[in-house]
Amino acid sequence: MLALRCSLRRQNIITARYWRLFHDSRSHEPVKVDSRWPEWQVIIGIETHAQIKSRHKLFSRSLTSMYSTHTPPNTNVSVFDAAFPGTLPRLNPACVDLALRTAHALQCAIQEQSSFDRKHYFYSDLPSGYQITQQYAPLATNGTLYIPQPDGTRTPIRIKQVQLEQDTAKSTFVPRTRTSHIDLNRAGTGLMEIVSEADLRSPEEVATYVRTLQSLLRAVGSSDGNMEDGSLRCDVNVSINPIGGSPGSGTRCEIKNLNSVKFITAAITYEIHRQSSVLAASPDARIEQETRGFDEITFQTFKLRSKEDAPDYRYMPDPNLGILRLSKERINHIRSTLPELPWTTHARLKETYALSDRNVNVLLGIDSGRDVRYDGEDPGESGAVKYFDKLVEGVGSPEGKKRDPNVVANWMTQELLGQLASQKKTFQENTISAAQLGELIDMVQSSAITGTTGKHLIRHMLTNPSTDSTFKVASDLDVLALSPSSTSTPTNSTTSKSQETQAKDPLIAICEKVIAAHPTEVTKVKKGHKNVLNTIVGAVMRESRGRADAKTVRTILERLVCSES
Amino acid sequence: MSSRLITQRLSNSRRCLNTAATNQWRQTIAEKNPTINALVCSTPPPDAPLCHGPLAGVAVAVKDNIATYDSPTTCSSLMLDGFTSPFDATAVKLLREAGADIIGKANCDEFGMGSLNKYSHHGPTINPYEHPSGQTEKRYPGGSSGGSAAAVASGVCQVALGTDTGGSVRLPASYCGVSGLKPSYGLISRWGVISYADSLDCVGVLAKTVHDIRRTFEVIATYDARDPTSANTNARTRSSEAVEARLTRWTSDRKAGKPLHNIRVGIPQEFFPSELSSSIINPVRNVIRSLRDQGASIVPVSLPSTSFALSSYYVLASAEASSNLARYDGIQYGCHVRPPLGSDITKTSKNYALSRTKGFGPEVKRRILLGTYALTADAFDNYFLQAQRVRQHVRDDFNRIFSLPNFYFMDPVSQQQHQHSADQVDILIHSSAIRTAPPIDDVDENKDDDLSSYVQDVLTVPASLAGIPALSVPVPKRFLDPQGDGWPIGVSVVGQWGSDELVMRVGKIVERLGQ
Repeated sequence: MLALRCSLRRQNIITARYWRLFHDSRSHEPVKVDSRWPEWQVIIGIETHAQIKSRHKLFSRSLTSMYSTHTPPNTNVSVFDAAFPGTLPRLNPACVDLALRTAHALQCAIQEQSSFDRKHYFYSDLPSGYQITQQYAPLATNGTLYIPQPDGTRTPIRIKQVQLEQDTAKSTFVPRTRTSHIDLNRAGTGLMEIVSEADLRSPEEVATYVRTLQSLLRAVGSSDGNMEDGSLRCDVNVSINPIGGSPGSGTRCEIKNLNSVKFITAAITYEIHRQSSVLAASPDARIEQETRGFDEITFQTFKLRSKEDAPDYRYMPDPNLGILRLSKERINHIRSTLPELPWTTHARLKETYALSDRNVNVLLGIDSGRDVRYDGEDPGESGAVKYFDKLVEGVGSPEGKKRDPNVVANWMTQELLGQLASQKKTFQENTISAAQLGELIDMVQSSAITGTTGKHLIRHMLTNPSTDSTFKVASDLDVLALSPSSTSTPTNSTTSKSQETQAKDPLIAICEKVIAAHPTEVTKVKKGHKNVLNTIVGAVMRESRGRADAKTVRTILERLVCSES
Repeated sequence: MSSRLITQRLSNSRRCLNTAATNQWRQTIAEKNPTINALVCSTPPPDAPLCHGPLAGVAVAVKDNIATYDSPTTCSSLMLDGFTSPFDATAVKLLREAGADIIGKANCDEFGMGSLNKYSHHGPTINPYEHPSGQTEKRYPGGSSGGSAAAVASGVCQVALGTDTGGSVRLPASYCGVSGLKPSYGLISRWGVISYADSLDCVGVLAKTVHDIRRTFEVIATYDARDPTSANTNARTRSSEAVEARLTRWTSDRKAGKPLHNIRVGIPQEFFPSELSSSIINPVRNVIRSLRDQGASIVPVSLPSTSFALSSYYVLASAEASSNLARYDGIQYGCHVRPPLGSDITKTSKNYALSRTKGFGPEVKRRILLGTYALTADAFDNYFLQAQRVRQHVRDDFNRIFSLPNFYFMDPVSQQQHQHSADQVDILIHSSAIRTAPPIDDVDENKDDDLSSYVQDVLTVPASLAGIPALSVPVPKRFLDPQGDGWPIGVSVVGQWGSDELVMRVGKIVERLGQ
């Protein structure tokens, strides 16, 4: 254990030096001149803290509290979270698994042995006086996140490491009483700290990086990645150097605790202007290395502390948690069960199914907005893409017959989502199972019901949820299509046999009834006013409550009207 | 008469018997405790004492740094004055379930930091040893589990729980003339044991007889998922199988009248420094000689890293202490000092400093400062990491000389590769302390910077650093040096990790030498 720690520590130091020398992985790219700061190259690295979407905290059995649930303060607290004497941590394996998913998705090298360290500081949001983190041997290192560029290409951003750590309590200062209120509900919740190398080159790239990371976290189910709720928080490191100078040779400043993409872009933009104006003032001017905050009202950064004031966190290996050993089996299992990443899904839907961009974006849009389940549980059919995949694969069809992806996509995005939207429901509230919708699509395709009926059925099944098969629902409502086959090939034959058959056919009965009720119109049609026939077709359609096919009705009517003469 | 009534009457009569017993213990406490200050709090007898269970009716005192929900747990510190834990430590819970009567909380050095039981918010404990000459000299009981040892020695309880971080069970056992076991690290759950140095802390058991220690140990040494360092079932099974195999071979080899036939007893030369006085060495020699007469093979062994162990221990223990004690800020529980009007409360740490300055005693403050320094970025490599390296050397030393592999600290590969060689031993024997109990007047109250109290741990810290079991048994009176001061001294039996049973068997034989 001892030897390992020493060697790891040394390794970290070597790695740090190495990257400083070969700072810029994007050095082969021509430096893009930005008209906002034409003389400067901007170098940015980012640390994101993502709250792990686990049911329980990282080292205790108390429940995590989601911002949206408005849990009363200090209710999800165990004796360990409150740092009572005599309590000990117990690692929650679900948190490790979710962090491993993230690490895999970021193409990191997962460490079979990692360890936990204590970071010490005295603050009211930290009841034990230290935060358990992974300073010396993080869970995963050396990953890559590809971010899309406006020209459609993707740029690799190196991920330095992914580590597990505890969240702090929430402290709220009440200026009126000059007191701090402490809520321990958040204390001890699992966080993933994801550290990028300084590979980002503009505020916009950082925004894209954060959005891409958010969609990755949500897709693998490891975090809500929600900046408004505080489940994703960012610190950025910004330095600038003259164009043509050595990239990364500028002194960096860290801006702490940025909690929206808008603020991140604004803070970096302000910081670049601030640093460039300092440097432009005189040839001897230097940037002081410091930690800065961001004022969300003035949109300016301000100095928190200089390098000299940086606290000594007195990192110490946690003597209770020892070494986290991960078996190859566990690592491989997580890899093989990793949910599909958004960009892989996008490519698959486009390439395999040839869906339109619109449909792909609608489906992915639903999934990126859905609630992430606890402990990485499979979202099942609540995922739009999963629902779509099941439909295409033929769920609900007795023979498991595959369906046309574009037909399915249209039914899903137009009819199902349209109805949900008009009923002010989200996709998660959809009560029609993929099997039911699949059957419905099949029935329309085979003309067992009309398209109109299909749409009505969706509306009906959303307002009257049931587990009945779509066929049963349609039969009960008596909306099965009228004369799907026998009337589709009507003849002028007036044999008694065919008259008998037609007499049995309810659609023909309706047609005859309508003809009888509209003598004036019939006369007009007979006189050659073909357009008037539309009125009669409409009347039949109304009478059949959408169960009839307009084309078939027209053919029948034409025949009947003619035969009347 | 219905069967239910009979049962009730029977249980009533049994309860009466037990009530008599529980009252008797409390009577003794009332008589003896005021003069020795061994217990800092005694609990009323339980409403319905258990009449069954392996420890039914056994009176147990619990060191004041082990959590009990029905009485305060203060660690003998003003910082936790009046603090009552909302839960029982796992060890206490297991004792209660086994029928033990928890009679009260035992005095100790503040947060377990000390070797005399001098630094206590409740005042020092007095060594209750009754000197054969009838002299009434006041001596320290040793620390930090001084209250536990004194409680057992004076007879206010049958068994006491202590904690041992660097010798805190064995040293007071030696000074008070009782037996004390520091088990293998990880065998007894630390859930509810208030941390001093997590990587070294062990719950220990003190009693007058090894028999009482063993039956208590057997109740509380179980796996506990709430302690991440609790040895898993696999390590327990494998080591106990290895020990069992050794014991079976030993028993079958045993010759009539030679109970230790074929047992290899190592004498570590580094544990007999030239400074050790003859009044300590001679009694230990006598014990070793008797063991040889009982059939044991006496093997001189060397543990070369021993001389660095004490420094390593104080760096690591202080570093962990500085971290573990950071939680005492006076906000949620314990001693709180309200900032006086006009004081600077803009920084949280300044606010905490007021309570911490008042709540911690001098020895605790000293170790927090030492530990804080050892963890600063500038000192970390030279102190903390260096001490960890030394600790590994100490472990390697022990692993090399024991015939059994270490099933807790060694990885599976090293366990398999564990070399057997002819000079390996089953157990080690050495003196538990470098002296007898120090007189209370001897130690200058104002000389807090005196390092001599740290040196007392020199013989006990190696086993703590290695996490291996060590049992201190009083040297039988007939072996004591006639030139000595007549106060008790202990001899330590030390074994490989998990061989606590072997250590207790040998300890029992040492105990019998006196009969």
